[in-house]
Amino acid sequence: MATTALHPAAPTYRSTLYEWITTTDHKRIGIMYLINSFLFFFIGGVLALGVRAELAQPGLQYFQDLTYNELFTMHATFMIFLFIIPVLAGFGNYIVPLHIGAPDVAFPRINALSLWMLPLAGMLLLLSFVTGGSAAAGWTSYSPLAQDRPLGATGPGQDLWIVAIVLIGTSSILGAVNFLVTIFKMRAPGMTLFRMPIMVWTVLVTSVLVLLATPVITSALIMLFIDRNYGGSFFDPANGGDAILYQNIFWFYSHPAVYIMVLPAMGMISEILPVFSRKPLFGYKAFVLATAGIGALGFSVWAHHMFTTGAVYLPFFSLMTALIGVPTGVKMFNWIFTMWRGQLRLSTPLLFALGFLSMFLIGGINGVFSAAVPVDFALHDTYWVVAHLHYVLFGGSVFGVMAGLHYWFPKMTGRMLNETVGKIQFVLMFVGFNLTFFPMHELGLAGMPRRIADYASTAGWNDLNLLATIGGFTIAASMIPLLWNIFVSLRSGKPAGDDPWEGNTLEWATSSPPPPYNFDHLPEIRSERPVFDMRHGFGGHEPTPAPAIASSAEH
Amino acid sequence: MATDSQALTTATEHSPVAGLSHDQRGGISNVVLGMLLFITSEVMFFGGLFAAYFNVRANAPHWPTLNPETGEAFRLDILPLVGPATVLLILSSFTCQFAVWGIRRGDRTAFLRNIGVTFAIGVIFLIMQGTDYVLLANEGLTLSSGTFGTTYFTLTGFHGAHVFGGAIMLGVILFRGMAGQFSARHHDAVEAVSLYWHFVDVVWILLFSLLYLLPGKA
Amino acid sequence: MASSPRTGRSSAALTAVVIGIVAIIAVIVVVTGADVMGAGGRVLTGLFPPQAVTDRGAKIRDLYDIVFGLAAVVFLLVEGLIIWTVIRYRRRPDQVDLPPQTHGNAIAEIVWTIIPTLIVGFMFVVSWQTLNTVDAISAEPQTKIRAVAGQFQWQFEYLPADYDPQADPPAKPVYTQLAPTGDDGGLVLPAGRSIQLYLYSPDVIHAFYVPQFLFKRDVVPGRLNTFEFTVDAKDAGGTFRGQCAELCGAGHRVMLFDVHALSGADFDAWLKQKVAQASASPPPPSGQPAPSGQPSGTPAPSGQPAGPALQVSALNIAFEQSTLQAPADTPFKIEFDNKDASVPHNVAIHEGGPTGPEVFKGEVVTGPTKTTYDVPALKAGTYGFVCSVHPNMTGTLTVQ
Repeated sequence: MATTALHPAAPTYRSTLYEWITTTDHKRIGIMYLINSFLFFFIGGVLALGVRAELAQPGLQYFQDLTYNELFTMHATFMIFLFIIPVLAGFGNYIVPLHIGAPDVAFPRINALSLWMLPLAGMLLLLSFVTGGSAAAGWTSYSPLAQDRPLGATGPGQDLWIVAIVLIGTSSILGAVNFLVTIFKMRAPGMTLFRMPIMVWTVLVTSVLVLLATPVITSALIMLFIDRNYGGSFFDPANGGDAILYQNIFWFYSHPAVYIMVLPAMGMISEILPVFSRKPLFGYKAFVLATAGIGALGFSVWAHHMFTTGAVYLPFFSLMTALIGVPTGVKMFNWIFTMWRGQLRLSTPLLFALGFLSMFLIGGINGVFSAAVPVDFALHDTYWVVAHLHYVLFGGSVFGVMAGLHYWFPKMTGRMLNETVGKIQFVLMFVGFNLTFFPMHELGLAGMPRRIADYASTAGWNDLNLLATIGGFTIAASMIPLLWNIFVSLRSGKPAGDDPWEGNTLEWATSSPPPPYNFDHLPEIRSERPVFDMRHGFGGHEPTPAPAIASSAEH
Repeated sequence: MATDSQALTTATEHSPVAGLSHDQRGGISNVVLGMLLFITSEVMFFGGLFAAYFNVRANAPHWPTLNPETGEAFRLDILPLVGPATVLLILSSFTCQFAVWGIRRGDRTAFLRNIGVTFAIGVIFLIMQGTDYVLLANEGLTLSSGTFGTTYFTLTGFHGAHVFGGAIMLGVILFRGMAGQFSARHHDAVEAVSLYWHFVDVVWILLFSLLYLLPGKA
Repeated sequence: MASSPRTGRSSAALTAVVIGIVAIIAVIVVVTGADVMGAGGRVLTGLFPPQAVTDRGAKIRDLYDIVFGLAAVVFLLVEGLIIWTVIRYRRRPDQVDLPPQTHGNAIAEIVWTIIPTLIVGFMFVVSWQTLNTVDAISAEPQTKIRAVAGQFQWQFEYLPADYDPQADPPAKPVYTQLAPTGDDGGLVLPAGRSIQLYLYSPDVIHAFYVPQFLFKRDVVPGRLNTFEFTVDAKDAGGTFRGQCAELCGAGHRVMLFDVHALSGADFDAWLKQKVAQASASPPPPSGQPAPSGQPSGTPAPSGQPAGPALQVSALNIAFEQSTLQAPADTPFKIEFDNKDASVPHNVAIHEGGPTGPEVFKGEVVTGPTKTTYDVPALKAGTYGFVCSVHPNMTGTLTVQ
């Protein structure tokens, strides 16, 4: 290690790119995660615009049926597997070591491996568009539709899809191992488990979910691959297999995956709300407990995606699904009472966090409808479900990601984003989002099924679909101020300084951007808000008795 | 009120170890913990495959299923190959543990000898499994011969792939050991690889019980 | 450091956001020419499912109303609390000192754990009760029908009263309705009688969904799903739209069907007539009942000797020929070979291309079977030929 420092620096024109590609620094890897994720966010967004354009009016205008199926399949695939999951892993990568006062993650080289598997998987998925059509059986790839059979998935697209998802899954698993070892083993002295920022707790629970759930979908997809390519008979009833078995295994992963996609966003919100309210998070331990509870319950609700198959024991999964609303409700009240009697600075990060709160609330409530099994008989596989999942994953996760981006951009780059432009983006996105997805509730109730390229003009769905399409393009328009803001701020944004937001957590105690290995010095850690404590000298804050460093090292 | 951000990075006297790697505080090492977590995910992977096995088994009218060519149920024989291979693999878990104990004592000769034996057994196991596959294929049992063949070859095949991976890890350990990279104090990689090898062994014991010992249904 | 300018801007920022939202909504209202007052009413009614036409559907609607009521109260309270908190506690320029640093409140936290638990517990109980009613299956339903969903077509088999789905082989249907839509097709049901529906799929997963039943159930290959319902007697004479709700491939969206509710007496008469028709025509070789078909749907040839015969065959839900040629202004024959076992196909000719106006429609036949269509004289030009059942089965017919 020491010898590398003695080498003369390579010429910069070559070294910058080379250094980024070969880096094992968790901050650079985190930023590359973000860049890669946003790239696929835009690709997935374009596909969604295709879907919305086709549905704006009755009649097939732009695409054929099969192409349309490819559009929504790949939209979901990109958004779920190459945007939301990796973008949260990217924030985790950047923030978690800083939050716990560590110099890097536990396995930096494995971290780099996790990162580079993602663009590879993305290329495989993109490649499938030019090798005879991408996967078109929905992101769920239900068997037998995803089998290699006439009118099923005959091309190589489905196989490329399977390989790509297995790659992404492996990347996630390695990332989860990295996060867990980092969190368990590399916390700074004084950083006990119950002084960790909530963001770290959510990444911890998310990593446990990834570790336990992702290998299961890997096994399901490998079995599907064997069915497709080597004459296996796992999931095809025509060969003695069981179509429902695939759904059980798939949802055993894919329901926890919803929490994988939303918990870290909740963590980011839980960092932002206290800072912009100038108050600590209300009910820290209850929040941790609720996070762990969501993680645990998350494994007992998978079959609520299968209520209409007639093959699952409905009351059990209905009860568990309803129960998982409780910890989520606890969190909602914790957030609101964090702001209660605070001093709210309505900067862009807080606006997006408020967007998260108000939209995720709807996503929680309209999910409860589907937990009532008979109501789900009416709503399942209609546009109601599309509305629900977007209120959770867009209204929740994406607003959380935007909040996090605006919050940590100064730390990552040393430059502030422009507040006015950020607010314009927020308004466009918030309005566009509701315009797109709220009408879908009504479409679903009126009986419009998901995944159809066209509908009868007499069905009464024309106006709502047009409205949703206008909203979709409004969301797309909201990306213009975002990109402009990032581009301009990187060049000429206001210098951020170490701590532009009066933050609470350790990342604000180092420079922006932080140096390699993060910290020259660490402040004393006596609560979950060490930087707040240092700024205010424990003002209004009852410090826990200072433990000796030796005793705080237990974990 | 000290809101001056300049002050933030200066309070240092309470944190003499800031910036150091904090994994030196005893307890389980990073590598071993990482391996344990990775093995947890592997357990879930095999859990998915086992769940599928039990499901198709429960749905099938006969188990093992009937060979469409002869009309008789497929049969798996413990002798001559699989039984000895099982014994060998269990033995290799012991030799692997002897190697770990050896390096913990600082006895590099015992360590290298035992790792070498473990590695060799791994390779022999793979050869025996391959031979067994050829024999089964000659009897008409392949990946595509119904649910029985599919589950049999998928389960044992993925186990074999893990033996292969474990053998590569053992090879690396052997190579590094011969280069003198391990000592009584520094051998986390050895501990981790031995854990993996034990895991592979346990999976095989489960698989063997399931496929060869559990009575079928006629 | 820069805390005071930021706080000074906070209320201005709030105003800007509110104005922005209002402006965008106003623009949209103007651009789309929306009738705001009318739309407001529609939004509210649109938040409820359509009026249920079955007994089970009515139960589901009752449950929906309960859930909706609870949801509306929770939504208004919590969303209101969020908005009120944000407005009330936004930072003012004179606020320099920290607000009270509340870390939590055990009583409050227990209360907001217990109340949601009670709410979801209540919801679970009522939905379980509804579920028991909705999923109840009687031993002696008055009507038994098997719905067969194949890519991409529904057909409905009317079963004898002694039909037992577990029997091997099961009893033959008395009549099979092949055309899933139209006045003479679709699922014809007796209103006021209990109906048991057995779902069967020969290929991939489909879902039987009728929005006005407020109900759907997956049609899973290798699995028998059964459910029961009674269409309200007062809805006799109604027609309801049904559709496949589980993605089943490229033709998913065309898997539509109509549900016609008839009064009990009308239904009996209809079924009797259909059974008589079916037994009058010779049974097809496969043992399947003959399609009901449109007795005179095929334009009669003009009496001249028929022209040349074109060979068309269908296999794996596709035509084996992509192009055909026929002489202009001469009637000709199409010898159609449907090689797909138990899949219905036909040949229809459309002007200009597969989606153009229909000029000829052959009778739908279920494979494997052969039939001959007499096609009237066509003007020179390019036509598309297509299977009426599977709109993605297409080819080009050149008439010259």
